[in-house]
Amino acid sequence: MTMSRLKSFPGGLHPNDSKLATAGLPIEDCPLPPELIVPFSQHIGAPAESCVHVGQTVLKGEVIGTAKGFVSVPVHAPTSGEVIAVEPRPHQSGRLLPAVVIRPNGRETWAPGLCCAVPQELTPVELRERIWQAGLVGLGGATFPVHVKLSPPDDMPIDTLIINGVECEPFLTADHRLMLEAPQRILAGIRILRRILRVQRVYVGIEANKPDAIALLTPLFAKHGIEVVPLAVKYPQGAEKQLILACTGREVPTGGLPMVTGCVVQNVATTAAIADAILDGRPLIERICTVAGPGIATPKNLRIRVGTPLQHLVEVCGGLTCEPERILMGGPMMGAAQLSLAAPATRGTSGLLIFGPGQLPVRPEGPCIRCARCVGACPSRLLPTTISAYSRLDRYDDAEKYGAMDCIECGCCSYACPAGIPLVQGLRQAKGAILEKRRRG
Amino acid sequence: MLAAIICLGLIGLASAITLGFAARRFAVEVDPREQAILDVLPGVNCGACGFAGCSGFAREIAESSDITTSCPPGGATVMEKVANIMGLAPIVSDPQVAVVLCQGDNDHAKAKYRYLGINDCRAAQKLADGPKLCPGGCIGLGTCARICPFNAIEMTPAGLAVINRARCTGCGKCVASCPRRTIRLTPLDASIHVLCNSSDKGGVVRKYCSIGCIGCLICHKTTPEAYVVENNLARVVYDHHLEALPAVSKCPTHCIRDFATGYPQGSALAPATVPLHSGKAA
Amino acid sequence: MADLLLILVSAIFVNNFVLSRFLGICPFLGVSKKVETALGMGMAVTFVMTVATVVTWYIQTFVLVPYGLEYLQTIAFILVIAALVQLVEMVVQKTSPALYQSLGIFLPLITTNCAVLGLAVLNIQKDYSFLEGVIFAIGAAGGFTLAMVLFAGLRERLELSPVPKPFRGTAIALITAGLLSLAFMGFAGLVKG
Repeated sequence: MTMSRLKSFPGGLHPNDSKLATAGLPIEDCPLPPELIVPFSQHIGAPAESCVHVGQTVLKGEVIGTAKGFVSVPVHAPTSGEVIAVEPRPHQSGRLLPAVVIRPNGRETWAPGLCCAVPQELTPVELRERIWQAGLVGLGGATFPVHVKLSPPDDMPIDTLIINGVECEPFLTADHRLMLEAPQRILAGIRILRRILRVQRVYVGIEANKPDAIALLTPLFAKHGIEVVPLAVKYPQGAEKQLILACTGREVPTGGLPMVTGCVVQNVATTAAIADAILDGRPLIERICTVAGPGIATPKNLRIRVGTPLQHLVEVCGGLTCEPERILMGGPMMGAAQLSLAAPATRGTSGLLIFGPGQLPVRPEGPCIRCARCVGACPSRLLPTTISAYSRLDRYDDAEKYGAMDCIECGCCSYACPAGIPLVQGLRQAKGAILEKRRRG
Repeated sequence: MLAAIICLGLIGLASAITLGFAARRFAVEVDPREQAILDVLPGVNCGACGFAGCSGFAREIAESSDITTSCPPGGATVMEKVANIMGLAPIVSDPQVAVVLCQGDNDHAKAKYRYLGINDCRAAQKLADGPKLCPGGCIGLGTCARICPFNAIEMTPAGLAVINRARCTGCGKCVASCPRRTIRLTPLDASIHVLCNSSDKGGVVRKYCSIGCIGCLICHKTTPEAYVVENNLARVVYDHHLEALPAVSKCPTHCIRDFATGYPQGSALAPATVPLHSGKAA
Repeated sequence: MADLLLILVSAIFVNNFVLSRFLGICPFLGVSKKVETALGMGMAVTFVMTVATVVTWYIQTFVLVPYGLEYLQTIAFILVIAALVQLVEMVVQKTSPALYQSLGIFLPLITTNCAVLGLAVLNIQKDYSFLEGVIFAIGAAGGFTLAMVLFAGLRERLELSPVPKPFRGTAIALITAGLLSLAFMGFAGLVKG
């Protein structure tokens, strides 16, 4: 399996993997914190609406927030306990947003009425309905509601399912451990997805830096006609458009949805969660999260409950080694910097990374020297320096002409820039302004 | 000699005939008033009127005969001339200037996080609602100063935007550019303002800013007609701005400023550039 | 045939009217902020140059020379050029109001554009035949358009660059024009003479 034979995509970078600290650590269960803060906004789409009140006792898996509209999912209690508050609390966006605060009673009593099912006895429509009810969202970090992705319009026929086991972000090893420890759940999830989408062809993309996962899953999945595709180690191989290109050779057209190529992509963790939801009737209340970084004493892969405050995760991992300068939720390329450890982990928290003073270099911004490193690194084949320059001059029409809306905000350009120009921020500004203009008509 | 005259004369005649035909064939209707209006406009092309530059404004006025939209940089003098050209009665309105309702620079207000990004207030505002603990205060990265077509906004060394009242024409571009709506348009002759934009309760404000309004109501109690306090924030009632002077010295956090005495701390603008207070104390 | 090709190549590259002869600098700097306007101006100038060459050649050969009125050359040529520019103005205003707006004052200024008069006079000086004259005009206009469009492209990129404050605007444009001129000097020696 030489590097030159592995499938890949144009552009991209090779940041240091940094996965050695946790790649060999089995998943540990994270003990319950004294308080769980469950926000109503944990997914793309409208936040859920509260259906509980202070003082109420809730059971594990009970619905505490109802979905609002089609692109929305319900929110569930991660454990049984008492609702001690329904109020704005620190959120990963840096704002104070409405959340349900639950004090666990330790009994872990499941809510009644969660029914197991046999997928073969349910229609695709019924399966989608249950997935929606279980609050399933993309666990790769995007948190896009799964039932929406599984409802392609009639004019976009789907013929390929791609399972994303790439995990290209440095430091994160959650998906890797899941593939090693729960391959049967992933397989069950794939079979359910096959039934819903009515597809035969299934690829599982895994980066070549996880040879043990590839070796384990290839024979297991081959028996079911599922092909494991080893991919060249390059960031951002795990991005949807790049994954589709590498596995199938199909390119998503500019301004188009990935569905147009006839492919649906789901993360491995999401796939396993689908199996939990359909086979055991369990809603999405926990996930695997990698807690790592030089600021953490004992890095671990934890199975965490949704709503666990970041402070608790740090304590479970042996505490801090220094005063944190950067707290990242997610990976170091696309993760969101946090104001403090008070915010809770949610359905989309694939990782918590702590960096101390001087451990993440801060470069002062200099002028663009036209080196074109960003152009070479961009996986969407854009000109980040030009679009960002137009954006900072408020010339959003020109930014749009140069393809700003095709940017996937992967961070390759900012990483590659030797002048330290915040290119992704400029691109994001442009995208926001263009969308605002389209909305105003 | 004669040959020269005939030669040039013939060339001239030929050209004239050709152009005469062309003029008829390619005739374009042009309103002479449009050109006249364009001549009296300042020609800055700032877009404050809402149209594409001065020529766009001129065309719009000539076509619609509607002079309710004014040209802020040109002011009353220009609009009067425009009205005369169109044969309409001029509309009289008070001149306005923009004011930054904040004095919370880095020496007075606390930060929420260390911002390492594009030097643009709108970009910084997108990250956790801005790098200041105060939700309404001036972020101080200078977006308004760069957008001002008249170079009327100064950024103090401690990161506060201050508007030069002598240079401001009230065009309103800074107002639109501020992501926190800290800048407002106010009447030019009103020189007293409450320079705070935070609706948080007094105790909360004190934690993050030493010069913000705490909603203590002292100004309102001193002169009820001149000050109104809503949502923990005081503001001057500009119809009664002449009676607002006594409360300025009574404010415990000194957030009320009389621009007649000078600009906020840190500003290099000399008070002499400020139009004199009309002198009528309450 | 080879001579005509030589004249064409020479007029476009080797002795470019703007970058080697330094004629027509006014619209070169004034209209080159955007590529679309530069192209529009180039087409207007092409039309004026070509028709002006034809008309002035006829006037020179059949009116001025036979009657010994060579001293009227400048006035007669300017008369013709002015009339042509006026014609072009009317046509552009009617057919493309947007281009008319963006060209602004520079459209009537083609009259005083030394490149147009220079072309007409050079034609006579070099003693070109009618066909040679027309080819020379097309080459000159083509070179003019090429220089303007190239320069407009460069200026569009310059807008995105962090130019030091003292150099912003016309200063950096002139420096760039000089560098572009230097670049075109590379064509010297392509054609002998």
